[in-house]
Amino acid sequence: MSAKVKVVKRKGDTLPEKLYLVEVLKGMKTSFGHFWRNLRDNSRLYVRHYPEQQPEITPRWRGRHRLTTHEDGSIKCVACFMCQTNCPSRCIMIEAGERLDDRDEKLPVRFDIDLLECIYCGYCVEACPKDAIRMDTGIFSLVEHNREKMLVGLDELAATPGAFTEDDYQKRGL
Amino acid sequence: MAEMIKLFVNGEEVEVESGKNLIDAVGAVGIEIPHFCYHPALGADGNCRMCLVGIEDGRPPLVPACKTPAAEGMKVQLDTDKIKKIQRDMMEFELINHPIDCPVCDQAGECTLQDYYMTYDGVSSRMNVEQVKKAKKLDFGGGVVHDQERCVLCGRCVRFCRQITKTGELGIVNRTDSARVDIFPGRPLNNRYALNVVDLCPVGAMTSADFRFKQRVWFLKKDEGICHGCSKGCNIFIDHNREKYKDDTIYRFRPRHNDQVNGYFICDEGRLSHKKENEGRLLESLKNGKPYNLTESYVLAQKAITNAENVLILVSPNLPLEQLVATQVFAQKIGASLSGYSDGYIVKGDGDDFLIQDDKAANRKGLELLGINTGGDFFWDSLEKAECFICIDNELPAVDTKRLIKALRETKVIALSSHHFNLVDQAFVAIPVASFSEYGGSIINCDGVLQSFQAAVVKNTPIADVTEVLRRLGGPLSSAPEVLAAIHRVEGPLAKVDFNRIPAEGLKL
Repeated sequence: MSAKVKVVKRKGDTLPEKLYLVEVLKGMKTSFGHFWRNLRDNSRLYVRHYPEQQPEITPRWRGRHRLTTHEDGSIKCVACFMCQTNCPSRCIMIEAGERLDDRDEKLPVRFDIDLLECIYCGYCVEACPKDAIRMDTGIFSLVEHNREKMLVGLDELAATPGAFTEDDYQKRGL
Repeated sequence: MAEMIKLFVNGEEVEVESGKNLIDAVGAVGIEIPHFCYHPALGADGNCRMCLVGIEDGRPPLVPACKTPAAEGMKVQLDTDKIKKIQRDMMEFELINHPIDCPVCDQAGECTLQDYYMTYDGVSSRMNVEQVKKAKKLDFGGGVVHDQERCVLCGRCVRFCRQITKTGELGIVNRTDSARVDIFPGRPLNNRYALNVVDLCPVGAMTSADFRFKQRVWFLKKDEGICHGCSKGCNIFIDHNREKYKDDTIYRFRPRHNDQVNGYFICDEGRLSHKKENEGRLLESLKNGKPYNLTESYVLAQKAITNAENVLILVSPNLPLEQLVATQVFAQKIGASLSGYSDGYIVKGDGDDFLIQDDKAANRKGLELLGINTGGDFFWDSLEKAECFICIDNELPAVDTKRLIKALRETKVIALSSHHFNLVDQAFVAIPVASFSEYGGSIINCDGVLQSFQAAVVKNTPIADVTEVLRRLGGPLSSAPEVLAAIHRVEGPLAKVDFNRIPAEGLKL
């Protein structure tokens, strides 16, 4: 089977193009066109005024993780280690302990995610049998002054609320 | 070697040992017949019905494999639609009231129900009535935690307590839905082998309080080892894991099958001795009880040895043959007396007729075969004369402390120790050495079975074993072949042993 060969004509061989200066002026025309347009009216900018203007995040966006809780505030996680097992970057570190409320037998006493190592693949969310970990906080920008602070623990993960309504979250991707 | 017979499994001819039941006979050639209640150590019970197999032209055509001896020319069917349906129906039956709390169950990952569900069942539950609730997290005593909901009522634990320990603490009470394994009121599990029911339990109904929630089993590396808790030398699995940013840690010991030594079981004390491998370890070198540079410690120890006229070396009866012989050669070189005094390791009346032995030393037979003097008089006499006393990992249990202190008043003590024993703090120099999970070697148990084992745990900063430490102190043996050659020079049964070809079951000397 012979491969299909498509011959493309090489561009940039005409005389005005070879003269160079003409093309530079054409480029300047585009740049200055945008400049004058934005100077007169900046409501139709092609770029966003970040960070004053935040982007709209969809429920499918995989942002920073959080641990979900029951209505009474107790944590849903039962420390089954499915997320840690499934994590390709080994950024989840859990320690399990005895759970004394009547919901279950086990809970995490330590649940650390190293956000510097996390690749935000969402496998932990997929693996979780209890819907205890989600990436629906809408937090996509994480900046800290040192590495240690990028290690988020149990309390912080459980304290962060979700950015979407339960309905929107459940319908994501449908 | 038993007589071999030929039979057919799924139409294919296989050669198996005669005199065994179908599960064992066919299992030996790698064909699995699913079963819950049968265990080779406990015999066939035939209550779980999972091992039902078809016998072509047989009367009856359907038999429990655990109760059927393998016979010449038998045509066993495992893959017919009828048998597959039976297996699927049995699984459905077992899972009717199963809580499926695999996320919190310690058995998950090594659970027969999980494995069989994936292999023989694989369909959703058809039940739409409420599940029967039973008690969870019951403390059965002896470190056993019982969950009645997960139980498949195979009765292995009950039979273990009746047949093996003969204590009979467990029983199955009530019938049908209400049937459950329970203890008699106020009579918890009270025997020294109780934790074996955790291994025997094919599901997560019996779990160990010691291992509870410590690790998921699929993270654990399962290396083979030998328990050093007593002179029986039970074969074990050393389950260990190096968690991220942490050190390699042992989480549990499990029995490893060896008919020549321990069968299928180990005692609870040996099982829980894994803690000793992690706790109380001597990790840094000490001078007069205070942390001191390791290289400098070697220099100090060497100086103390050369300056002393009379040196006494005391070895631990737990050390393997390789390290004992290295010590022996070292002692000869420096002209020191060598003692293996360890009467304190014998706890009179502690042993039983099953596995536990009075003698808590793992390699006393080896000590004797190498011709190391274990006498008390020789030890005390030499100690009184000695100017330098090298104690190699000997805990000196139940020793006359006053006499020891008196004898050591003028003596420089050098301790090569795996653990922080009492003597370590009084020692002039203490140098850490590896413990038995961190080195390989050969030991001889109380019945004269020579067994070899390999290193299982590799610490982040590995600690040298006794052979290596002695080499650094000027010992002549530097490699494994040299050590083995030294053992072969010792007259007696060890001279002819090929240490590279010790069978897995051990070598009866």
